[in-house]
This record gives sequence, C-alpha cells and structure tokens, in this order.
Amino acid sequence: MNSPNALCFGEEFPATGVPCHVEVSPSGLTVRFQDDARGLGELSLSFSTVSVSAGGLDHDQLVLRWGLTSQVQTLYLKDPAVIRAFRSAAPPVLTKHLDETAATVRRVRSRNRTVWAFMVAVIGGLVLAVWFSTDVLVGWAVDRIPVEWEKRLGQSAYQDFLVQQTVMKEGASVAAVHEISQRLLEHILDNPYTFEISVVKNDVVNAFALPGGYVVVFTGLLEQAKSGEEVAGVLSHEFNHVLERHGLERIVKQLGVVAVIGIILGDQQGLAGVMKQVGVELLSLKFGRAQETEADVTGLQLLHRARIDPDGMITFFQRMSEQEQGRVEWLSTHPMSTARAERLKKEMALLSKTVPEPFTFQWETVQASAGAVRR
Amino acid sequence: MKSEILYPGAFPMARVELTAGEAIKAESGAMVASSPTIDVESKMEGGFLGALSRKFLTGEKFFFQTLRASRGPGEVLLAPTVPGEIVMMELDGVNEYMVQKDGFLAGDEMIKLDSQMQSLSRGLLGGEGFFILKVSGKGTLLLNSFGAIHKIELKPDQEYIVDNSHLVAWSGTTSYNIERAASGWVASFTSGEGFVCRFRGPGVVYIQSRNPGGFGAWVRQFIPVSE
Repeated sequence: MNSPNALCFGEEFPATGVPCHVEVSPSGLTVRFQDDARGLGELSLSFSTVSVSAGGLDHDQLVLRWGLTSQVQTLYLKDPAVIRAFRSAAPPVLTKHLDETAATVRRVRSRNRTVWAFMVAVIGGLVLAVWFSTDVLVGWAVDRIPVEWEKRLGQSAYQDFLVQQTVMKEGASVAAVHEISQRLLEHILDNPYTFEISVVKNDVVNAFALPGGYVVVFTGLLEQAKSGEEVAGVLSHEFNHVLERHGLERIVKQLGVVAVIGIILGDQQGLAGVMKQVGVELLSLKFGRAQETEADVTGLQLLHRARIDPDGMITFFQRMSEQEQGRVEWLSTHPMSTARAERLKKEMALLSKTVPEPFTFQWETVQASAGAVRR
Repeated sequence: MKSEILYPGAFPMARVELTAGEAIKAESGAMVASSPTIDVESKMEGGFLGALSRKFLTGEKFFFQTLRASRGPGEVLLAPTVPGEIVMMELDGVNEYMVQKDGFLAGDEMIKLDSQMQSLSRGLLGGEGFFILKVSGKGTLLLNSFGAIHKIELKPDQEYIVDNSHLVAWSGTTSYNIERAASGWVASFTSGEGFVCRFRGPGVVYIQSRNPGGFGAWVRQFIPVSE
C-alpha cells in the first residue's frame, strides 16, 4: 500500500477526512483507502464523472467532486506530482476549467504579493522619509517659535543659574567682556535679540549661551585666555549658537516628533510643559557636530566683520585642548579636533584680508582683575 | 511515544512516555519535570533564520526544546504558560494544521513546523497576526488553549463563524474569510465582536473558550497606574 497523498471527504466520513492514495491513469483516477475497517477499499473514477475546483486555505489544493447531490464526495489533492499528472491526463473540458482555476489562484497570489510589496514599500518609505526629514521638520518647527517666547525660556534658566552664582558687577574684566561683546554685537546683521552677558566668579574655563541671548562667561576663561581676541573667539562662537537658534533645535529634537507636530500646529506654549515633563534642561544641552561647525564658521565671519583678529579663536581652542583637558569644561562640549582647526584655517583663508583693530583694554589688567577675585 | 493528559481542565499537564532514543519537540520552557534519562537539547527549528523568523513573525519562542530519552526510557511532564486545556491529536501525514502563535505545546520529533504568512486582510483582521505556524507530518501533536478547547467539525461546504482571537488551530483543507460581525460597521463594533472569521469545510477548527486579548484588557483595568 502506497502512502496516502490525498484526503477524501463525504457525509459519512470524519471531518478530518480519510487519508487515501490517488493514482492518475489515462482514463481517470484510482482512489485506494487505507482504512479497510470502513470497507471502502478501492474506487475508480472516470474523468467524466468529476468536477474540478481549487480549495484549501490558500486555494492551493485541487478539489475533485463526484456523486449525487445527497452523497457528494470530495477529494483534496495537495501533492504537486499528482496535480501535474491529473492536468496532463484529464480531457481538455476539465483542464480548461482547471487552467482557469489555476489562473485565479495565481492572480490571488500575485495580488497578495503586490499588496505585501506595496505595504513594505509604504512603511519603508515612511521610515526613510521621517529619518531624512527630521532636520527639515525641526527647522520648520523652530522657525515657528516666536523670539519672545524663546527669550522667556532662556531668561528663566539664566536667572535660575545666576541666583546660585557670584556675578561680577564691575572691574576691568567686566569692562573688557562688555567691550568685546559690544564690538561683536555691533556687527551682527538683523539681530532680533538683546544680548545680556554676565561674568561669573568661577575657576571653570567655560562660557555658554542660552536661547534668547543670555550669555555667561566664567572668570576661569578670562584667566586662561592670553588675549582679548581669544575671549572674542569664544564669545563670537557662543553668540552664533544663539543667532542660529541651536538651543531651540536641540530642545525640539530631544522632545521628539510629537512636540514638533504640536509646534507646527500652533501650540508653542505647550512646549514649556512638555520640556518640564521630559526633563530637558537648558543648561545641560549639548550641541550637535553640525551646529558646532556652523557656529564656528559664522563666528569666524562675525570676528572678521568686527575687525577682531580671528587667529585668537583658533589658538585658544588649540592651546586649551593641549593642556588641562580635564578642567576645561568648555572643551567637553566643544571638542577641539585637528579637523576642526583645519576647517577654521581654511575658512579663514577665504576671508578678505583686513587690518585688525586692537581692543582698548590692557589684557594683563583684565587677567589681574579676574584672578584677584579668586584670592 | 505514549502521551496522556493529566488533570484535564484549567490546569492540565501532559505526560509523555518515551522509549530509549525517542524524542519530542516542545515549546521552550514547557518542561515541568522529567526522568533523569531525558536530555534537554535546545534547537532552532528550521535553522537560525527559520527560528528568527518564527520568533519575530509568529511570536513563538526563538528556540524549541528537544527532549530526548538518550540514556534509556523515561517520561516528561509538560505544561503551557497560560491556564487552559491541552488537546492531543494524531497527525496522519496528509492533514496539515495551521496553529495560532502560542498554540503549540509539543509534538513528535517527526512533526514539521513552518512559519506561514497570511494574506494582508487575514493578518490584519484575523486576530492571529500575519504569521502562523504550519504543522505537518506524522505523529502526535499537543496544542494548548486559553480556557477550554472546543472542536468544530465541518463537512464539505459547511460554514461556521468564529470570533477572531478565539482561534487555536484549523486544518489546511478549510478556508476562511474575514467579515464584519454585523451587517453594518457601527453595529459590528458596538456588538463587541468587530470582525469574525467565516470558515468553510471540510476540516476541523479548534477554538478556545476565552480570548487572551480580552482577558488582558480586563486585567489591565485593575492595575494601578503609576504617576
């Protein structure tokens, strides 16, 4: 007895069918049942007595029916070899119908494949679109945030910070920072911000800018700098973070797509609440590499317009990265690489030659004033 | 291999007796206890990619375990994770069964397990996900359900409607369409049934008396929400 390759169903048969072995001959089919207990034995069917259709879960089974309406029996064939043998042996009347059925099955499968391919393409496309358009979306959202609102946001963080610090109100160092800032600010084109700069007593070699134009310079930075031009380099860089709205871009990026959509739809006020929830802190925001490069380049251009020697910017960065790496906080957020210095030198070469105008202060006096604070 | 179901009902356990050298495949983590002669082997059915696709696509566990009586005859006790019945069936080598994810408990070593992709409409609305397990071959198969298991026998062309997510397994000779439970969209959802599967025979359909998703939603309302 050959192993079963088909299932036979009928009124008297169990729901799972009776396994049987089907053989195709030129005149018809021979069905042999394994289950002799039922007394089914062997059955011969001529092609003229059967009707053909496709069945099963995926329409991939050949279904043959025969018998009277009350006692129809059905055969489910799945073995490809048997189906092929049936198709080659059966008369054209049957196979014509079979071809139509096969065509239907192929159509269904191809439609399923198309639908799947389409779905995969759509989902993949969406993922790629979101991936590549993040910067565009963020830029769009940031453009819609009014400067006034940005100022309020920066101001509150600035005031909170200053409360815990000793702010220098007068002295040579304050005057110098003021002079450097004024020289730079005069040359900013279309400045929507009113910059506020504070000198804070602290050994940390650092300076930072908050959204809205609030800048903090630590006395540690003034002590380590060798000239006013070096401080001007750092300040110019920080001012340009504000002007390019880098802080806002980081906030929006950190808050994610939901916030971006909220802002685009006009809910800018809600952003403060979301920031609070997510725990985004302005003071610990780190800028991205692209933003640093942008602030470098625009900072350099600003120095050039203000006729401040741009060499100071590069030398300060380089010197600081060589020594005291651990204590120079500014470098932890602004890592100085050779590539960055090279880039700045290249940008500098593109600028027209101008004669730098020196500052009016004596740098030694400024440093003495900044250093005296500590003693 | 001889199997019996102990403690039929909500918390059953399957006892499988193995002669020396015999083995069964079981869902990873299904073994409760065994004779000391039984060795546990972890196997990625269908190779690494097959196992990976089963893990991510059907939600079945990455590995199946093979329990082999390599050091003499012995017995193994197996139980599913969720409370519910275990059903034992003999595969005849011709009938194939589609099993929803989590439905497979154990089976003869000769049984073949494949991931099968469903059509988009069945995958989205059928309640079993896009991928199901196709079980074929000859030998004993143990399925488990959430709640009691009920067998529906369908004659050729006989139809039966099953709420999606109550399906456990169905034979490959049946076919089914997804349709709305009621004639209107609103009525379909307000009745709480949403979509249903209209099965057409011949074949058998195993259904479970409880809906895991519905139970999960019911439990969720008692879980305190953290601030």
